[in-house]
Amino acid sequence: MWPSSASTSDGWPSPLTSLPRAIAHVDCDAFFASVEQALRPELKGLPVVTGKERGIAAAMSYEAKRRGVVRGMRLSDVRRVCPEAVVLPNDYETYGLFSKRLFGILRRYTPDIEEYSIDEAFVDLTGTRRTHQASYEDIALRMKAAVESELGITVSVGLSLTRSLAKICSKERKPAGFVCVKGYELKAYLAHVPADRVCGLGPNSVALLAKYGVRTVLDYASRPEEWVRRLLGKTGVELWWELRGRAVYAVETALKAPASVSKTKTFTPPSGDREFVRAQLLRNVESACIKLRRHGLALKAIGVHLTTDEFRTSGLSAELSRATSSTIRAVEAASELFVRVYDPARRYRRTGVVLSELEPDSAGQADLFEDAVRLAKLRGVSAVVDEVNRLYGKHALHLAATDGLRSYAQHLGERGDHARRKIDLLRGETHRQRLGLPVWEVRLTR
Amino acid sequence: MPRTFDRAGALKKLREFYRSHHRPPSFDEIRELFGYRSKNSAFWIVRRLIESGFLRKDPKGKLVLDQLTGVKLLGSVAAGFPNPAEEELVDTLNLDEYLIRHPEQTFLVKVTGDSMIDAGIHEGDLVLVERGRSPKEGDIVIAQVDREWTLKYYQKKAGRPVLVAANVKYPPIVPREELTVGGVVVAVVRKYK
Repeated sequence: MWPSSASTSDGWPSPLTSLPRAIAHVDCDAFFASVEQALRPELKGLPVVTGKERGIAAAMSYEAKRRGVVRGMRLSDVRRVCPEAVVLPNDYETYGLFSKRLFGILRRYTPDIEEYSIDEAFVDLTGTRRTHQASYEDIALRMKAAVESELGITVSVGLSLTRSLAKICSKERKPAGFVCVKGYELKAYLAHVPADRVCGLGPNSVALLAKYGVRTVLDYASRPEEWVRRLLGKTGVELWWELRGRAVYAVETALKAPASVSKTKTFTPPSGDREFVRAQLLRNVESACIKLRRHGLALKAIGVHLTTDEFRTSGLSAELSRATSSTIRAVEAASELFVRVYDPARRYRRTGVVLSELEPDSAGQADLFEDAVRLAKLRGVSAVVDEVNRLYGKHALHLAATDGLRSYAQHLGERGDHARRKIDLLRGETHRQRLGLPVWEVRLTR
Repeated sequence: MPRTFDRAGALKKLREFYRSHHRPPSFDEIRELFGYRSKNSAFWIVRRLIESGFLRKDPKGKLVLDQLTGVKLLGSVAAGFPNPAEEELVDTLNLDEYLIRHPEQTFLVKVTGDSMIDAGIHEGDLVLVERGRSPKEGDIVIAQVDREWTLKYYQKKAGRPVLVAANVKYPPIVPREELTVGGVVVAVVRKYK
């Protein structure tokens, strides 16, 4: 909230307001594909698509987007619309390194950074003009230039009074765009932004609003607060204030404990082998539980889902009588759900698990019907499993039910490509430990 | 509830006892120390500590606390001399910190070719390159000249950039069209084993 003099009686920022708060949204352009292009100069200017190992386009360079490749497209379709596309496997390890570096660079400008996703951040620049001896726009532009020159990828930056506005701005001029909207420009700007560009107004809300003649963001923000509350409730009102330039959502700098942990994996070719599909699912449960314990959390609810080779997904979830962090307990629950979801007449290509209703993992009080000795033993087993796997590699010690996966590559055939970083090891690197630096694959000549 | 064994806590209690009594506790004293009713529980504690090597029994069955009597356990070094260097260890750099000045912009590049051989950069070496940094004269750079990438000394002749090899076989390169300096080399890594 800013002093009342900054806003007029109708709630809009006054015509004299520039940036009472300066929130930037930094969004990488075609992140995965850009990273590949940054590390392999010969890919610059070519249509690059990642996701080869999954058979689905995960990210595509702007050259590929221009030729009609969209996210989630099957690779067979990608090759049809864009035969010259360079299709690469996802290299999450390297993308993760770039992501960390991105946030590191942004933190040089202000400590108030929210890591919103792997390739997006909210940046609160409010009050930093004195340290940088520059206007907010210049600070944002310097930040953008630093990321682009040091990482070799482009980012789009939006700068405005609130998170919701900053996010709209960053989307305005992709790729490599910079859009700044100040208080006094706000109404004029929002008049040409369609309502579906607001993060938080989904297709259903947008369709509903259209029935009332609300098409632009200005239409929305100009309606009375009460009207918005009746139509879209509290979240709608929060958004309404955000879009009128009054910050409701703060930039959350604390790392959030996850609200849920999920693991989903695709395998090719699709399989109708019950034990194999079950093993795939349980491996996801194992991985998810490892992550859960790393965060010191326990699950109270578990959901499983299976996707057929026709991309139809079905799933079930269940609640446990007591929170647990034990893989064995989670597997028991997941197996029961699996029996009910699995259809022998179908072939599956993907399994996944979602652990939710997470709470801090504590020894807790055993209830009357619980076998306390077993609980303590399970806890001991988890500790030993984690320790063994820390020493010998993830899944070195695993359930017998997932042992069949050991001799199996997740993806057979052409799609079974691994990221180059995992294949071309440097001296001293192993299949599970590599240097934490990206390899810039410049082909030196002369 | 089953007993969970808190080894650190148990050791602390025994150590405190030893410090005030200058002798190991009896089983009955252990029982009291841990607030158990039965001496059996004391035996259990002792057995766990013997198993993990913190306690042993002498030939007469008396407890010996050879690992409990020091001031502080610092691994096996604690038995030796106080190490004056230990104080200084706080201020050391690890190799990462030593080699990498700006972690956000440092990349690995694998060297091919012999154009920098006289600068001690061999084929197969890894160079650490800082991206997005403008070069100074005399820096070793990764640069793109007329659409080809190369590793060379960055020099200037009559105010114009020239790329110079550290190998007499290669003449200096004067960029005809365009010169893009991709990054500046800050270190070379060659691992033998």
